[in-house]
Amino acid sequence: MSAEISRRKFLKVASSAGAAIAAVPYANLAFSAAKPVEPMTLLTANASFDPVRPEMGRLISQAMKQIGWDVSLAAEDYNMGIDKVFKQKDFDMFIVRWTGRANRVDPETFTRMMFHRDGNYNKWGYDNSLVNELGDAQQKEMDVSKRREIVQEMQTVLFEDAAASPIVHPSMTNAYRSDKLDGLVPQLGEGIGSLWSDLNMTTKAADGYVRNGQTSALKNLNPVSVTDSNEFKELRTIYDRLIQVGPNGDLVPWAATSIKAVDNTTVDITLREGMRFHDGKPVTIEDVKFTFDYCKQWEAPFFISSLKKFQEIAITGKNTMRIKLSEPHAPLMINFFAQIFILPKHVWENIPGSSGVDDVLNYDNPNPIGSGPFKFDYWDRGKELKVSAFQDHFSAPKCAGMIRITYGSHDAMAAAIEAGECDRTRYILKPNLVQDLDKINGVVGKGYASHGWYGFMFNHLRGPFQDRAFRQAVDHLVPRDVIRQVIMTGFATNGGSTIAPANEYWHNASITPRANNVKMAKDILTKAGYTWDSAGKLHYPA
Amino acid sequence: MTEYLLRRVFYTLLTIFAVATVLFFVFRLLPGDPTMQVISPAMDPAVQARMKAAFGLDQPLWIQYGVYLKNLITLEWGRSFVSSQPVIEILEYRFWNTLLLMSAGMAFTLAIGISIGIIMAWWRNGVIDVVGTVSSLIFQAAPPFVTGLLLLMLLSYNLGLFPTGGMYPPGQRPDGVLGLIMMPEFWHRIILPTLTVSLYYITTPMLVMRDSMLEILGSDYIELAKAKGLRPSRVMIKHAARNALLAVVTLGSIMVGFAIGGQVVVESLFSWPGMGQLMVEAAASHDYPVAQGTFLTLAILVITLNLLTDVLYCYLDPRIQVSKKGMAT
Repeated sequence: MSAEISRRKFLKVASSAGAAIAAVPYANLAFSAAKPVEPMTLLTANASFDPVRPEMGRLISQAMKQIGWDVSLAAEDYNMGIDKVFKQKDFDMFIVRWTGRANRVDPETFTRMMFHRDGNYNKWGYDNSLVNELGDAQQKEMDVSKRREIVQEMQTVLFEDAAASPIVHPSMTNAYRSDKLDGLVPQLGEGIGSLWSDLNMTTKAADGYVRNGQTSALKNLNPVSVTDSNEFKELRTIYDRLIQVGPNGDLVPWAATSIKAVDNTTVDITLREGMRFHDGKPVTIEDVKFTFDYCKQWEAPFFISSLKKFQEIAITGKNTMRIKLSEPHAPLMINFFAQIFILPKHVWENIPGSSGVDDVLNYDNPNPIGSGPFKFDYWDRGKELKVSAFQDHFSAPKCAGMIRITYGSHDAMAAAIEAGECDRTRYILKPNLVQDLDKINGVVGKGYASHGWYGFMFNHLRGPFQDRAFRQAVDHLVPRDVIRQVIMTGFATNGGSTIAPANEYWHNASITPRANNVKMAKDILTKAGYTWDSAGKLHYPA
Repeated sequence: MTEYLLRRVFYTLLTIFAVATVLFFVFRLLPGDPTMQVISPAMDPAVQARMKAAFGLDQPLWIQYGVYLKNLITLEWGRSFVSSQPVIEILEYRFWNTLLLMSAGMAFTLAIGISIGIIMAWWRNGVIDVVGTVSSLIFQAAPPFVTGLLLLMLLSYNLGLFPTGGMYPPGQRPDGVLGLIMMPEFWHRIILPTLTVSLYYITTPMLVMRDSMLEILGSDYIELAKAKGLRPSRVMIKHAARNALLAVVTLGSIMVGFAIGGQVVVESLFSWPGMGQLMVEAAASHDYPVAQGTFLTLAILVITLNLLTDVLYCYLDPRIQVSKKGMAT
């Protein structure tokens, strides 16, 4: 549907769904003896966590009534929702936002981790032998073009099986003061909050510092215990990585001038020469080896699963090392080498030691020393983090530094941008606020491409979701156009494959999102043997 | 008197112990897993177990409770699950921020509230009395998040007279609390949150002062003072207001207790990194050590203030006697 959807139509869709049962054309089908499809609950985070999700949930749950199936909405506290889904596995269906983190450019997360029988995210009981097989194969395939073929096939299988229903691929909605900043470089999934913006932007501010706004407080600056994207975002400015994910999702050599797969289980690393830590000490290949050994010894949460595949780590020259893997593992490049931070051995070999903690994961790292493009100045917890340009870095920033300011809400951050107190949003700003800010002189509000998605996820172990036809029918009922145009105010594309079109290399372009078509949904259900009683309620096949 | 004091101190300690115990169990009864806040639920179960062990959550509850009580007494309140920072350090920093905001709010509230209360009583049924009564009730009916938001919209977003939030301009961190209060920008930024707090709480001291004054103004000694030919201002301030203040003093500790609760909203609204904001963050993220520490600190503050008020009251009002059983009567 290409026509713009008006607010009027949106309201009509939202309010008329209750009456839609009466319009079910199949309501006059012969009453089936089979049991009715049981009412279910759609779980979402509440509006204070994400104003978009309950709205989506309301539309989707209402839309389900069009096939004579009752769905109630439960907008709950985010933590409780997470607990229900991931710990207790006690849910029927839920709406989630899979953010477009840099490491998720690799297809591993949105394919195998989510839909393989043993995938860490797969708490929804999805089990398809072909998907399991393809998932394992892509993980072990070190040839990128061959891996791409497998991933493309996997997307087709997942789509046809309606393993989940990607609702929309939201843009990264950001805003910045165009009268102050120049040279911002957006990155896939990160928008203008990217490292490439950090490095290339210039500011007209008198002190040369860029004020970045974010609504979530910074929790920690420990590069060993880090797991959260918020912390990764700040740590990557202070600590160097071996490689970085570039603006388009491609890999860019960084502290390592090359990371070469000699064969399927052997990786050679060459470290850049002449690098220094912020305290003046040189960065050596010893530091890199120490980082791997240290993170393995302390079971660094984010890195340990990759490190377990490291059979042997050997320094082979002044700036070179060789890693022997226990098995081929293609996602290693993005999920490990482009994530892990190089630790200064002379600092971390004494931790925990006399630091007052007995576990590195409990260390607060009050004065981080890395070799990254920015030096740590101070962190006034709960308020702001200040870092200054490290001029000796091989890719020194063009601004004098950055100040990360925590705002209480999206509205407060938008007001600060309007008032000129904040120069740039570092993460997502509510789409409607971005739209409003764009109308202000000297401010640009825009959506940037992302590979993340809002997902309508099913519990495959419960009721009708065990049936592929039912899942396909449900996918046809998701009002994607309304959600995209009204709730997302146009800052999104309709969801089809779990790998977004923005992730061009891995996306399967032959997949087009299922149309929002009630008739098609009912046809699928009828063909599968579902029936409706005289009241228009949906019944299982006899 | 000594026996009374000792008894009150004992009861205070007992109350603090009860609060500490309740806090320990309440946070653990909340649904949700604290490790979920720190690491992705998609991580290997072994990693989850590793984090639990690092937090000491792999121990049975009674052992955790024992460690908690021991730490409580030794003031070793552990480390935040989220930031790994020592809880005492976090509380120390946040406490001063809250104290500054609360002191400014309470000082303004009491000074203006008491003054207006005196005027309202002296010119009873006058314009100030009527307008004051009506407007104070309106302000009390409006929760701080509404008043604060309106003030922000009008004075900050629209007129640009005040910054949108924070304690000091970005990038200009002062050196300690003294450095902060010496900063003109700090005083500029504290005005709106102070006004928000004051508008909500001003009703209590204002109306209590008014009622107390009205009662005293009908006393014989006031008539006597007037008959002696003393200046009306002298009668109002020295003779009536001084005595009427006693009722407001009693309310002081109760007001502080309420004001502490109110900081949660005000601090979140004005991006003020204080205890209120910390309470919300810690409770939402199941950061048990910080949540317990925050709530307990505030409970200790309120309980201690109540104790001090009781003791102070005995000194301020000579009519109050301490019985032989150590009870104030």
